[in-house]
Amino acid sequence: MSDHAPKPPQEPGEDPIRHHVFDGIAEYDKRLPNWWLLTLYASIIFAIGYWMSTQHFRRPTDGARVTAAIQEIRAAKLAAAGNYDDAVLAEMSRNVGIVTAGAATFQSTCASCHGANLEGGIGFNLVDATWVHGGKPSEIMKIVTEGVLAKGMPTWGPVLGPKKIAEVVAFVLSKQPSS
Amino acid sequence: MSARTVTIHYNDKIVRQFLLASIIWGVVGMLVGVLIASQLNFWRVNFDLPWLTFGRLRPLHTNAVIFAFVGNMMFAGVYYSTQRLVKARLASDFLSQLHFWGWQLIIVSAAITLPLGFSRGKEYAELIWPINIAVAGIWVVFAVNFFWTLARRQERALYVAIWFYIATIITVAMLYIVNHLSLPTSLTHSYPVFGGVQDALVQWWYGHNAVAFFLTTPILGIMYYFVPKAAERPVYSYRLSVIHFWSLVFVYIWAGPHHLLNTALPSWLQILGMTFSLMLWAPSWGGMLNGLLTLRGAWHKLRTEPVLKFFAAAVTFYGMATFEGPLLSIRSVNALAHYSDWIIGHVHAGALGWNGFMAAGMIYWLVPRLWNKPLYSNSLANVHFWIGTVGILLYVAAMWVSGITQGLMLNATTEGGTVLAYPNFLDTLNSIRPLMALRIVGGTLYLAGFLLLAYNVFRTLQGAQVVDGAAEVFVDETPEVRVGVRGTFINPPVVFAILGTLFACAWMFGGDFTKLAGLFGTITCVILAWLHFQSKTQGWADWYERLLVNAAPFTVLTFMAVAAGGLIQIIPTTIVNRAQNVEDRIQVPYTPLELAGRDIFISEGCYNCHSQMIRTLVPDVMRYGDYSRLGESIYDHPYQWGSRRIGPDLARVGGKYPDSWHFKHMMDPRAISPGSNMPNYPWLFDTDTDVAALPSKLSVQRTLGVPYAALTPAEIQTQVDVQAQEIVTRLRESDIQVKPSREIVAVIAFLQKLGKSELVPAKPAAVQP
Repeated sequence: MSDHAPKPPQEPGEDPIRHHVFDGIAEYDKRLPNWWLLTLYASIIFAIGYWMSTQHFRRPTDGARVTAAIQEIRAAKLAAAGNYDDAVLAEMSRNVGIVTAGAATFQSTCASCHGANLEGGIGFNLVDATWVHGGKPSEIMKIVTEGVLAKGMPTWGPVLGPKKIAEVVAFVLSKQPSS
Repeated sequence: MSARTVTIHYNDKIVRQFLLASIIWGVVGMLVGVLIASQLNFWRVNFDLPWLTFGRLRPLHTNAVIFAFVGNMMFAGVYYSTQRLVKARLASDFLSQLHFWGWQLIIVSAAITLPLGFSRGKEYAELIWPINIAVAGIWVVFAVNFFWTLARRQERALYVAIWFYIATIITVAMLYIVNHLSLPTSLTHSYPVFGGVQDALVQWWYGHNAVAFFLTTPILGIMYYFVPKAAERPVYSYRLSVIHFWSLVFVYIWAGPHHLLNTALPSWLQILGMTFSLMLWAPSWGGMLNGLLTLRGAWHKLRTEPVLKFFAAAVTFYGMATFEGPLLSIRSVNALAHYSDWIIGHVHAGALGWNGFMAAGMIYWLVPRLWNKPLYSNSLANVHFWIGTVGILLYVAAMWVSGITQGLMLNATTEGGTVLAYPNFLDTLNSIRPLMALRIVGGTLYLAGFLLLAYNVFRTLQGAQVVDGAAEVFVDETPEVRVGVRGTFINPPVVFAILGTLFACAWMFGGDFTKLAGLFGTITCVILAWLHFQSKTQGWADWYERLLVNAAPFTVLTFMAVAAGGLIQIIPTTIVNRAQNVEDRIQVPYTPLELAGRDIFISEGCYNCHSQMIRTLVPDVMRYGDYSRLGESIYDHPYQWGSRRIGPDLARVGGKYPDSWHFKHMMDPRAISPGSNMPNYPWLFDTDTDVAALPSKLSVQRTLGVPYAALTPAEIQTQVDVQAQEIVTRLRESDIQVKPSREIVAVIAFLQKLGKSELVPAKPAAVQP
């Protein structure tokens, strides 16, 4: 390679200038700044780590995460509203957070009579689609709250309070065989 | 060595032409910018005229600034510097003139068709298909002229500016052609071949890299020529040039999906979009460092030289914007900033700061040399610099505050996070109005500065004589060093790069075992390359020097580097994310009348303010409804996910309001939504829907895979009439009289369809092999 353009004078204390000059433009060949290299390497390492953490391990999808978060908000709203009519209880039965809470209460309080799988025992079977005292969500809520003393069902209202009872009802509704 | 010399007369006429065109279109583009910024704050400035509404003028603004202002400026800079860097006159005067006049004709046709409502409905790709073909053709003319000039060069080695020009030419061609693949339905209308998520991915692969390879790489090349020229200092670091060039062109292409974070885009693409954007930070700053540090030893000249002031500020804005870009690509930051004014501020830091100031510096440097006369006034140029800078800072700061304010308001909740704090979208819009006004001030200042430039150039040109550059060069008659095919591909840097990319693909796409093998291979490759480089540094450097005297092999390797990212992202998406593989929910195709309404929606540019994408974010779902599924827009040619919410999202607006609401709202948005800044659309009420175009449109949609039955024109007409009559009847119940043939009826039909999907029956679980 040849070049006949005059090279700029070498300055004392400066790095050497490359042998080639383009239309009067010379180039140093200075080493890359360390902080710049660190930035580059760090971003590459982060990219590898982030890919692995999101793609190599099963995580809930973005959609599942936002759905769960919205259900939590709905649950809080329903709890705050307090009026447990049929529509509200039906919606609660589709809310994972509420049903899970209801399941816990059911296992500790109700399973001894109605069975861990709601199959019945001392109390009625709750998944056979037969409702002796009425099967509308609000009717079930009423029975749990007030009890049926003649049949041995205690009055749970003062013990559990409306929120927990509504959760239990939501859980029971969620277990109903779909028609 | 022979001492034979030849005298080269450069073609500087073409440079003068492009330079003046850039100034004229720059004024036009910025003027439209100020107009549409005013429309956002003062709806009356839309004048109730179809061709002056925001939705039609915003594409005119973006296209004018990108392709007319920066395009012409780029061609001027590329042609001026290339001739001098390769020591050859442009290969063909005819091709140069064809390039210039062809490009201006394209700009004029864009300036006519866009306000008339001819649009493909994709950002920065709105021009209709006959103009697309013209753009591709003229780009090929540019490419032929450029590479032919390279072939005739007297200077064998390619300077870094030329690398960037090569990358620009081949990559823009690739991006432009793929993103404009369409099937025409008429002379002025077409549907993109990609739909829904595929179209979104291809669009932002293009859109993001239009920024990269139209607004960045050619301007970096221009920086590498004009900054050392103006500063009369050596470029800071050749090896930094090498590293940042190759990392920039390779990495940039992958980052497009950062425009689609938290959307229905598959997660792996979102992750790639984010991480590659972060990895882009250092390569971008490599360019900034080489620009700024070239000014070492010349800083004192900044006080007196307006050219250097502009260059130094431009490179600084480049550094700022390329730091902000990776920041905005972090998914959680993006959740706040996306669809907000922050993005508009980010873009304008680049467009006004980097592109506009590089253009100004280059123009002030070139004009005295091309017309052989000192600049009319250095003081005016200094005034331009200062009011331009103040203009940018006002603009960008206003947009930051506006974007963050509106983003926070849209996300704000009360009552323990159960209720939106600002359920009315307009509350958030009206709180940023002072900032939108400040934006007009900033933009106007910037335009005023640019007008000073135009005036300064105009006065300089008065009575000036044009002068064409000439140079005497030695003819290098030593034999050429050819790398050949083997030398191009069989060498450590290329082999390690290709192997590393292949292993990385295995790691990304492989099953459990392949994945780990790929990861192991990638890491091994990197370590081996590192060790080899450490022991054979000189060998790598020598190979690269040989490559630099071989333009064709250099171009091939550059093309491989820029093609990789797109291939790896787009091909799997076009294969996997198709209608037959959709899970969960799938879109119900539009009826003929709804399709006609959708085309009106696109033609009016509604997508410039309204997204159709509810992201997987709690505030989005609380405000607009369940998050948008991938399948819910799978038949949308073009996709309409949007990029900015000046108004609310429309993905699930169907059925939310009665027909009469939309009727009154389109006539006078403020009658329904006090405080709205949406234009009135009175012409939709006395223009007839183009039903005659529907048979051809439906047939193209069928070809593209949208499940339409084959209908005769008469059957289409009947379906249209029946649906239009239903809407008209419903409107009559609200005491509204309208002819069923009017465009407003089709638009209402379309809006009421948005969000209609059906459940896909769960597929039986695939048998494990």
